[in-house]
Amino acid sequence: MPYQETMSPKERVMNALAGKLVDRTPAVNPTNVATVELMDLVDAPFPYACQDGEMAARLAATGYTELGFDSVSPYFSIIQESSALGCEMQWEEKDNWPTVRMYNPIWKSADDVKIPAGILEHRDMKAITDSIRMLKDELGDEVAIIGKTMGPWTLAYHVFGVESFLLGTVDNPDETKKALEKLKEISILFGQAQIDAGADALTFPDHATGDLVSGEYYKEFLQDIHTEMVDALEAPLILHICGKTLDRMPYIAKTGMASFHFDSKNDPQAAMDAVNGGITLVGNINNPETLYARGPEEVRQEVYKCLEAGVQMIGPECAVPLATKLENLMEIPLAIKDWTAERHG
Amino acid sequence: MPVINEDLEAELGYVTSPAEQQHIRNLWNEADPLMQDISVSLIKGDNNRVDQLTKEALEAGFSANTILDDGLIAGMAIVGVKFRDNLIFVPEVLVAARAMKAGMAHVEPILSESGIEPAGTVIMGTVKGDLHDIGKNLCIMMLSGAGFTVIDLGVDTSPEEFIEAVEENEAGVLGMSALLTTTMPNMGRTIDAFEEAEMREVVKIMVGGAPLSQEFADDMGADGYGKDAMSCVDLAKTFMRPDAELSISPVD
Repeated sequence: MPYQETMSPKERVMNALAGKLVDRTPAVNPTNVATVELMDLVDAPFPYACQDGEMAARLAATGYTELGFDSVSPYFSIIQESSALGCEMQWEEKDNWPTVRMYNPIWKSADDVKIPAGILEHRDMKAITDSIRMLKDELGDEVAIIGKTMGPWTLAYHVFGVESFLLGTVDNPDETKKALEKLKEISILFGQAQIDAGADALTFPDHATGDLVSGEYYKEFLQDIHTEMVDALEAPLILHICGKTLDRMPYIAKTGMASFHFDSKNDPQAAMDAVNGGITLVGNINNPETLYARGPEEVRQEVYKCLEAGVQMIGPECAVPLATKLENLMEIPLAIKDWTAERHG
Repeated sequence: MPVINEDLEAELGYVTSPAEQQHIRNLWNEADPLMQDISVSLIKGDNNRVDQLTKEALEAGFSANTILDDGLIAGMAIVGVKFRDNLIFVPEVLVAARAMKAGMAHVEPILSESGIEPAGTVIMGTVKGDLHDIGKNLCIMMLSGAGFTVIDLGVDTSPEEFIEAVEENEAGVLGMSALLTTTMPNMGRTIDAFEEAEMREVVKIMVGGAPLSQEFADDMGADGYGKDAMSCVDLAKTFMRPDAELSISPVD
């Protein structure tokens, strides 16, 4: 029987996240696919698109309307909560990402961790919840809306500084655990606010990457917290960790999260073997060498490699470089459709 | 003197390549047992003990250079191998680096007063839009330990700032770091800016950072890619003197 799409993009993504059957593999962007070209197209440039809900919604929608992905994601950076907590920010302009100046950390110890009253009303958190509401109104029946709430490990980098936080994990692991316990409340608060606003799923970035810490670190400091998040947040969660993660995938697979968004440093087949059916995978098209620097043919080859390995959702490995060519991003859903047609058509 | 410290012998066990183990073992060939103690304490990240042993060594008449080479840098060679082979990760490297700093605090002032000719001048910085500096700082510490004069431009460094620093300091080597896949392209833009300023021939450019690869470095037109702080030192050494002895021998 010829291949036909029988599901809406939203149904496709939600089914894939639940490990159910799909008409074809969805193209998903758990982080985001904003580029300068898209910002210009809808007049929603950085940094304003990170501060204003209407602009964020407009830019996020292009992931579906222009690129043909099955999901939209209006949280473009990793700094919204940290900005609201009072971290010193470098907002940059449209050709660069807003970042936290981690060399000027705001806190020194777990006792310093306090969630300001009314934090959800802070401009940079409200921009996200507002944008989700708008996307829900405009596209909510068609496309999956993926929010994002930062995990405690990533928040710790921002509020304590990366070096100081990592040194603390060796010097005083109990203090680290105490800090993570307190910071996770911010993850829950912001995550639930996005679900209430209409997010269908949440990306949960928590950068305990193999480029910085071991798989055993993940087990010791984060596996239990991530497991708790599944009950605390009433939507499917997509854990995102950059870099090499094969050594921690078996632990991640036991958290109960819906999916793991993995990096191109991990071979798709090896990743599928590592999780062994315990969690679905989304990824892992290389950003700097393929999406940014190569052409559609190379993108297609990587998409096919993921599909052949059985990766359940396909997308860039992380937020894409802002100068990425649109034709390369558009190639992801196109390649998925062609691959499906070749096998089922 | 061969390695007689049991803990150091155990640490050498983590160096699995026979050629590399011999190469690193030779670092203590003529070293006093006290230097072996310093190395082990550094590998374990015991900054207080490195601080105390370095003071003791200076009081006992060991030269700052001997302590640096046979105690601190030799210890970091094993840390480098363990990091490269994923036996330890950044937190463990950071505590070792902190221990090295504790020793350097005593030997560095003596070395700067001694008037020894530096191995060369290296400009280091994290590229525009990127505020991560752990990797860069580790490289700087190791480069300084290896005798280079290092100018640290910090984070979020524009191509213009890199060019200005190379010009001003007449540096032979430039090192750029990036942690984010989103900022990696700024390395290529910086190299292009050196081309446009007709300065590409006056400086060797090395790049590093977790998401980088040799392929990406080649594509951008960099002269070298350093996977970690020890490779960064080795690259800088070979740029200044192609026949230089390396900290870690190539893995066979």
